[in-house]
Amino acid sequence: MKTLIEVKKIKAYYVLEIFGRQRTVRAVDGVSLDVLEGSVHGIAGESGCGKTTLLKVLFAAVEPPLRMVDGKVYYLNGTGAIDLYAIDESERKKLRWSFASYVPQGSMSVLNPVLKIKDTFRDFISSHLKGRSKIEAYEMAKEHLKELGLPFKILDAYPHQLSGGMRQRVTIALATVLKPKVIIADEPTTALDVVTQRGVIQLLKDIQSRQGSALVLVTHDMGVHANISDMLSVMYAGKIIEEGRTEELFEDPRHPYTQYLIKSLPRFGDRSKRESPPGSPPSLFNLPEGCAFHPRCPFKMTRCEKEEPVIFNVGESHKVACWLAEG
Amino acid sequence: MRFFKTYFLPRIIIYFLVIVVGVTIVFIIPRLLPIDPIQQMIGQITSTGAYLDPKTLNYMIETLKELYGLKGTLWEQYWGFWRRLLRGDFGPSYYQFPVPVISLIRQSLPWTLGLLLTTTVVSWILGNVLGALGGYFPQKSWAKILDVISMVIRPMPYYVLALSLLLLFAYLIPIFPLGGGFLIGGKISFDLRSILILLKHAFLPAMSLILIGVFLWFQAMKLVVQSVKNEDFVSYARLGGLSQSKIVSRYVMRNAMLPQITGLALSLGQIFSGALITEIVFSYPGLGTLLYNAIFTGDYNLLMGIMTMSIFVITTSILVIDLLYPIFDPRVRYR
Repeated sequence: MKTLIEVKKIKAYYVLEIFGRQRTVRAVDGVSLDVLEGSVHGIAGESGCGKTTLLKVLFAAVEPPLRMVDGKVYYLNGTGAIDLYAIDESERKKLRWSFASYVPQGSMSVLNPVLKIKDTFRDFISSHLKGRSKIEAYEMAKEHLKELGLPFKILDAYPHQLSGGMRQRVTIALATVLKPKVIIADEPTTALDVVTQRGVIQLLKDIQSRQGSALVLVTHDMGVHANISDMLSVMYAGKIIEEGRTEELFEDPRHPYTQYLIKSLPRFGDRSKRESPPGSPPSLFNLPEGCAFHPRCPFKMTRCEKEEPVIFNVGESHKVACWLAEG
Repeated sequence: MRFFKTYFLPRIIIYFLVIVVGVTIVFIIPRLLPIDPIQQMIGQITSTGAYLDPKTLNYMIETLKELYGLKGTLWEQYWGFWRRLLRGDFGPSYYQFPVPVISLIRQSLPWTLGLLLTTTVVSWILGNVLGALGGYFPQKSWAKILDVISMVIRPMPYYVLALSLLLLFAYLIPIFPLGGGFLIGGKISFDLRSILILLKHAFLPAMSLILIGVFLWFQAMKLVVQSVKNEDFVSYARLGGLSQSKIVSRYVMRNAMLPQITGLALSLGQIFSGALITEIVFSYPGLGTLLYNAIFTGDYNLLMGIMTMSIFVITTSILVIDLLYPIFDPRVRYR
């Protein structure tokens, strides 16, 4: 399997100035990641742990106050590695939608309310494929919707005439109309009910397997990850604390935080109370010393308070950042 | 058909209701003025030294009352007012007796229309385009310069601006005439020379109105654009690699324009009350001066004529925009 996106030790901080004092929020702090062709790479973690920021970095949507402090992101499009932050904006623009595309969080408001869906499609298509006529773009959008099993009649509708689930599907269709190699989806199922969630996730999975592209899927819903992710990275406080093949991770979670996440899933026949990690997630502005999880960790050792854990390989592709895994 | 019943009909009913209420108020207000037009008229006649014996005087008062629609109870006057209104007859003017009100209006209206319609539309378009660009690119140096200019011009009292324009371009650098709408005693015909003279006279008044108008729209549009450009669909379009011009025109401006369209309808309606200060400063003919004189001479008929027309035009332009609005904003449906 080929690597499509290679992320090397990126650090992306929000640099804010409040009353003249500079504050740094370490949203992504030294994350490395490989996105493989034809796979679904899940990223899990609770709210405010830097998942969305990581995606912004992957998609080169870094705008102040967010700043890339360190690290590299490479797009490997077959001809070689492109350093995403070394090329200029116009070249990045070309890579978007054709190489990597983005399904945003809360797609309720990402469609222009005064344009028909087909006009939005046409705008996005014609920005990347020059010289497409109105009819060609329309046919292309129609063909794509048909492939996805969506009614192509919605092309003539305005966004407000569609249901929330349909709008999310339209957004996914819009993001994949140019058959990108990588689809980056940020919480595509938030604000949808469970039945619709299933449909939307299934749609993403279908597109991914039909087009043979890679899907980077961010959601805090471990159930979704268990269903469709091939690889899973668990994030906590701006770092990836555990990574591995999804089955391996679910069978043998090594980090106490991952264990809590997986234990929290409901199971048939099991009526025992679900336990959550004590306390609440740390502020990224003021992280505890050592391992960021130590104030909440039931297996805390004295070294956890001082030393930041290094990454241990505990399986073929299974990595964990916890002192418990040592030795 | 459902469109007719649920969208069109209620609006039409409200439209007529507003006109009736408005016209009624127009009927009442002049009657609350502390000026009795008939006493004023008689005073005018006697002040020239003419002697009127009481019998003639009474007879004269009766005739004048009938002529001005002031005869009978208030209720009878009201019905008479409506009857004449529907015939398009506002009666004679008091202070330019016996010229009918309608022909006075007919004289002034083309001047006001020509001046205010152009300046309103031009400043709306210019202000919105500049405001959209200034709001979308606030860091550009030309946007900052526009900002400073608007901060200077906007709070300036209009007459100061108008007077300084007049002083500058008619007195110190005399390229434009000091006042008037046309050459005194000249006859307007449809040839190039006439039109050039007309334009030359209209230039300074139009300039003063456009300057104020452009920056008014500029600041309003800029504010709207600054909030629209942070909407999700704009940042998504930017992520999607759409060209800058497409984002500004189809994503930002189309959405930011919506409140401005309503604003245009309202200011189009106001045209018919004229631009009094402009007309005074540039001694330009128009409805404003006419209205002003009507108020100060207690000229009921003229007052009611101008105000009725202004009510009619404002409500009509609002109705038209209301009916057209779903074209601009698809979320407003003909339910």
